[in-house]
Amino acid sequence: MILIGENIQILSKVVSNALKERDEKPLQELAIKQAKAGADYIDLNVGPARKDPDIMKWLAGVIQEAVNKPLSLDTTNPVAMEAGLSVCKIPPLINSASGKQESKDKMLPLAVKYNCDVVLSVLIDAGIPTDSSSRAEAIMETVAYANEIGIPNERIWVDPIMMPISVDQPQVVELFEFMKILQDVCPGAKSTLGLSNLSNGAPEHLRGILNRICLVMLDRYNCFSAIVDSFDEELVKLAKGQLPEIRDLVYRAMDEEIDPSSLPKKEADIVKTVNVLMGRSLYSHSWLET
Amino acid sequence: MQLNDFFEPYKGDIKEVAIGPEGKAVKIGGEKTLPFHGFEGQVGIPVRFALEVFDAPPEGWPEHLRSAYADVFTDPVAWANKSVKQFGADLISLYLASLDSDQADVAKIAENVKKIADQIAVPLIVMGVGDKDKDAKALVEIAKVCTGTNLLLGPLVKENYEEIAKAALEGGHSIIPQSPLDINLCKELNVKLAKFFPKERVVIDPLSAAIGYGIDYSFSIMERVKQVAVIHNDEMMKAPMVANIGKDCWKTKEAKEDKTQGILWEALTAFTLILAGANLVIMRHPESMKLVKKLIS
Repeated sequence: MILIGENIQILSKVVSNALKERDEKPLQELAIKQAKAGADYIDLNVGPARKDPDIMKWLAGVIQEAVNKPLSLDTTNPVAMEAGLSVCKIPPLINSASGKQESKDKMLPLAVKYNCDVVLSVLIDAGIPTDSSSRAEAIMETVAYANEIGIPNERIWVDPIMMPISVDQPQVVELFEFMKILQDVCPGAKSTLGLSNLSNGAPEHLRGILNRICLVMLDRYNCFSAIVDSFDEELVKLAKGQLPEIRDLVYRAMDEEIDPSSLPKKEADIVKTVNVLMGRSLYSHSWLET
Repeated sequence: MQLNDFFEPYKGDIKEVAIGPEGKAVKIGGEKTLPFHGFEGQVGIPVRFALEVFDAPPEGWPEHLRSAYADVFTDPVAWANKSVKQFGADLISLYLASLDSDQADVAKIAENVKKIADQIAVPLIVMGVGDKDKDAKALVEIAKVCTGTNLLLGPLVKENYEEIAKAALEGGHSIIPQSPLDINLCKELNVKLAKFFPKERVVIDPLSAAIGYGIDYSFSIMERVKQVAVIHNDEMMKAPMVANIGKDCWKTKEAKEDKTQGILWEALTAFTLILAGANLVIMRHPESMKLVKKLIS
């Protein structure tokens, strides 16, 4: 699975300070560390950058000086997006456009102008679709529009939008259902999603296992890539096809209901996590304790 | 093909919880099917009703509610007895109104609770005011003073469940853990309690709202709780549920402005949440209770 490293993002204090001060050092270090850890793309999340759209230009510039990886320019602001696109040496990923009218009008055309790949989320003007078929409906319409203006499916990375399991567990199940039918709906399209959002709100020390098990499940549903915490070593290994014993157990637990009480703790935890992700058992913050 | 082939075989059942001391205990729960799905499985014990009694005269009640209890307002025992003998309440839910005052004397409140519990013919539910610190202090003391009377104490929230549940455990009482309209947090609290508190003494409160004021949220969460327990056999969600609706109903302007409207407001809120799976309903107006009892009998 292709990994997009999420660690340069505006909500991090280190990052927001460095951006404010135009201090390239900590940002370049973060990029280098992520590349070493196994990130295939480096995500640059500068938020809406309303006051300072040129920040993306500066950031893309200093990051590509430090690492030889494609960038994922992450902002909802088309002006900031174009500022970043104008300096990228390796074709970057536009992260992201959506089915909202404003995005169709201003963001999508940038993928044509700069001839690069684009993340296209299932979001539409009416909001985030709430089940797999309305996701399919939304994305078909947006993809059709993208095709019309000259973006082929192969350059579209569909983002089904991951919701926090602690907020809306049924949505996680719907997302898997959508991933199963994505290739029928948009043949040849790639896919990606913000994996860490899954565990938003979950106890900090348990976020990793949710993210990792979910990644293995998504991989099985042919999810092309994910935006992830590059510093979760086990997650990176799983994405790169290592740790087959974990992968096998996840697959087995997906196919049949395994009784976790007969297993050692580490394996029981994996099975319980598969069960909450599949919606077989109701999520609570202490899902591993029951 | 048999008729039974169309029915769902359910795996889970709701725990039977007994409230009150031997001799006057009332049981709730015990079903092995969804609400009113008697054709698919054992329906368990019929829904039980509690009427509210205040340990200090309530303020702000509309006249058409107040008049039902005007003669007993200052005497909780008489109030409770009237609710049982004249109105037919299965249980009494004592609201610790006196706890609201800053000079509240917890020892005195607890003594008073004991007196009421001893002098009435039905089991007693004791409800705090919803302030996590005040409730913890009072309920812990009440649990001690009333040891052996198997009160149903609540609400326990995530910030105070440990101390109240420990005291309830020692005093031999049952408890009402309450979660803020969130099924995942509801389960979380149940999981934490299950580590040291017997499941047979837990009645959960997923938080009830009145018609027009968010009942749809209450309904869908209670409905899901019951489904998760009965259909998916989730051990942590098998407690019976309480709908504590009096307060929320009688603070609506609709209930306040007109007697018939108020009674209907409370009765239909109760009925709706019974459809969602409530096993125990705490109400205020005797006529609302009578109406909803008639509706489901």
